[in-house]
Amino acid sequence: MAVLKASGLGKVFPGVVALDGVDLELRGGYVHALIGANGAGKSTLIKILTGYYPSYEGRIELNGQLISIHKPSDAFRYGIEVVHQEVDTTLIPYLSIAENLLIEKLATPAEGFFVRKRELHRQARQILQTLQLDMDVDQPVADLSLPQKQLLVIARAISRNASFLILDEPTASLGVSDVERLFTMIRKLKQRGVSFLYVSHRLTEIQEIADDITILRGGKKVAYFNRETFEMSKAIEAMLGAQPGKLFPTRMPITERELVLEVRNLGWGKRLKNISFQAFRGEVLGITGLTGAGKTELLNILAGCEKADHGDIILDGKVVHFRQPKDAIRHGIFLIPEDRRHRGLWIEHSIRTNVTLPFIRDFSYLSFVLSFKEISHVLQIINRLKLVPPNPEMTVKNLSGGNQQKVVIGKWLLQKGRVVLFDEATQGIDIGAKQEVYVLARELAHTSAVIFSSSDVDEVLGLADHVLVMRDGQIVGEFDTQPIDRQQVMELATGAVRTTTAYTTAQEE
Amino acid sequence: MTSDKTPTASRKAGIAVAKPIRVNLGSFLSRFFLRYGLILTLILVSLFFSIRTQAFASIDNLLDILRAVSILTIVALGVTFSVVVSGFDVSVGAVTGLAVILSTALMVIWGVPWYFAILICLAVGAIIGLLNSFLIIRLRIPDLLATLGVLYLVQGLQMSITKGDAVYKGMTNPWSPTREIAGGAIHPNFLFLGQGFVLSSEAFRGIPVPVVIMAVIALIAFIFLEFSRFGRIFYAVGGNIEAARLAGVDVNKVRMTAYVISSVLATIGGLVLAARIGSGAVKAGDPYLLDAVAATYFGFAVLNARRANVFGTVLGAIFVGVMLNGLTMMNIPWYIQDVIKGLVLIVSLGLSYYTTRR
Repeated sequence: MAVLKASGLGKVFPGVVALDGVDLELRGGYVHALIGANGAGKSTLIKILTGYYPSYEGRIELNGQLISIHKPSDAFRYGIEVVHQEVDTTLIPYLSIAENLLIEKLATPAEGFFVRKRELHRQARQILQTLQLDMDVDQPVADLSLPQKQLLVIARAISRNASFLILDEPTASLGVSDVERLFTMIRKLKQRGVSFLYVSHRLTEIQEIADDITILRGGKKVAYFNRETFEMSKAIEAMLGAQPGKLFPTRMPITERELVLEVRNLGWGKRLKNISFQAFRGEVLGITGLTGAGKTELLNILAGCEKADHGDIILDGKVVHFRQPKDAIRHGIFLIPEDRRHRGLWIEHSIRTNVTLPFIRDFSYLSFVLSFKEISHVLQIINRLKLVPPNPEMTVKNLSGGNQQKVVIGKWLLQKGRVVLFDEATQGIDIGAKQEVYVLARELAHTSAVIFSSSDVDEVLGLADHVLVMRDGQIVGEFDTQPIDRQQVMELATGAVRTTTAYTTAQEE
Repeated sequence: MTSDKTPTASRKAGIAVAKPIRVNLGSFLSRFFLRYGLILTLILVSLFFSIRTQAFASIDNLLDILRAVSILTIVALGVTFSVVVSGFDVSVGAVTGLAVILSTALMVIWGVPWYFAILICLAVGAIIGLLNSFLIIRLRIPDLLATLGVLYLVQGLQMSITKGDAVYKGMTNPWSPTREIAGGAIHPNFLFLGQGFVLSSEAFRGIPVPVVIMAVIALIAFIFLEFSRFGRIFYAVGGNIEAARLAGVDVNKVRMTAYVISSVLATIGGLVLAARIGSGAVKAGDPYLLDAVAATYFGFAVLNARRANVFGTVLGAIFVGVMLNGLTMMNIPWYIQDVIKGLVLIVSLGLSYYTTRR
């Protein structure tokens, strides 16, 4: 089995040591997890291994022989491939699965002028069969779901004889069942001797899939575990560099709650059916379910981005109708959307212009924007959110994911909303930033009704006072009393009664 | 490894992009040139022409250059608005041409008073802007295609007004069955818009009216986009339309406004052009499309803004004017002019984008 051994890897940028003397060993047939907060050096390490940098410190050995990786083609030659979080960037949407799988072949002049479709399909089918993937090779990639695309990219890497596969946050946007499918695939490939470097923020997954665990902090390797020695609390401690405080803030007594929002019989095509619930000021209402269960659709309707076919939204006792988000905002319903980069931020703009835009009128006199007013407010927000760096003029593009998310939340802190909606607010941010988002949600619950929607069941259970479980556009479960049975929530969310989790299955193998 | 020197502060700060701490002369210079390079070039080119030709460095010539670029600047500012909201308006050249023919035809053929002619043209311009935004926002036709369609439509309309004839005093009325001579004339007040001077004195020829119009429009546009909350909202729509919508911006209204401003400014450009040439030439507005787009994108590079901005657009138009004026004085043949324009655009944008690529 192939062994890739990197020792003393380091990379210095002007003024910043991004990676500092890191050792890492990838053994064939094993999954090596790499974890760390944002900015810990994970992506620098990946970039070194995939030949992104022409120069760096340290040595890399393959099966005991020194190899040099200084350009992407080097990495490719030694069988190192990376599957990025955004798989779309490596696939061509209007070509078929077969064409995407064998794109290298199509690009070589030896193939001749005409595409031999039958031969192409035969080869593609063969590749998919060996991995036991059931896909129609003639289907355009554009029609595939995200998890399918991910499996396809992995299949393509394997078909090119990649023996070291780097998965960069592969589960960031996957639902529970897709994660399990991915893990099944990983286990299958492990048996064939493929080695994985698995980069993720999700510790529960790592516990389930990883054989070795390396933790980076500040560019250095701060801890190493194997399957036996791994402990969640120790891992968190190593990532944060300090004793972790409580991940979730304490709940408030529910005596002070006040009914703010009521939803009755909301329906939207096939996506939402018969949704009814109440949200109170003074509590966090959690909504969980798999991706695609209708959570985002529901929140979008509440925020005025979409229009429901029927049903009522009742805010403070009055039925309200929203034509566009503007109307919802006027009523005090603020949305922190899923996919912050595309829906929540102006990445080329500064923190200041991002934060002040929704209420820009409040910072203007006779329509002139008063920057001194803006800056004093933005500095307050920066202070409250512990944004780093504390510079209002910093371009959002250069902030870490966690800090970007804080900017999105910061937009809505000028006015007290009646309802604040969080949609997958902790996706792709490190555990320290997550903790801060939870605290913020809890703080906001003092003045507004907070609805916190996430496909991460554990965070919803840990944070919320009241939990709704959604599946296929319907509310299938409601939990009021603490503690809530995680198992029961999962069963409702997946719609199947399961007695064993994927983890126990793995142990039995 | 220099692990003890690790500047943990900057990493704690969560800066994804490495930031140099030592002041590096090379990087300082390159950043300086990136920001001020084009302005510096403009000054150097002006100095060069001043030394090589005697007529270049005079107030009158400066004002001549500004007058030569005034119409272009006005049209380009319209394009800038559409580009700011991340749209694109290629109908401006045709709209400029329509204003030329329509205004002169109204006065010459139908004897409409000059101020009514102006108002009618502005209204027609606004309607074309509304048509553009209807096609783009309601029918969701991509902006380039929608405005391309409108370009042809407007160009056809323009020629239908006079059945393809140019408009001049004493022309035969194309709509009269007996082909009699059109009785109207272009009013001197109208011509003043293109040919007049203000603040004239014995020692000083005066400031050309087109330059005044350009300056006023540029100033208003500058204040609107840079200092008002509307400018903030316009740039927000251009930067990320979905985020703007979710932040409570009526994005369709903003886009519509931008297209209407674009068409109205193109119309104003056309009116000034008609007044300047004193007749209604067919397709007189056509060359303004490409020049306006070029000036707008040239503006991306000024001060390394990398977004459409009023200051950059004005400077872009002036830059082109200075080059053409100076080269003409140096007896460089006219057919080289487009080559120069092309080179200026390629070099300025190339520098700006290439040096900032990571």
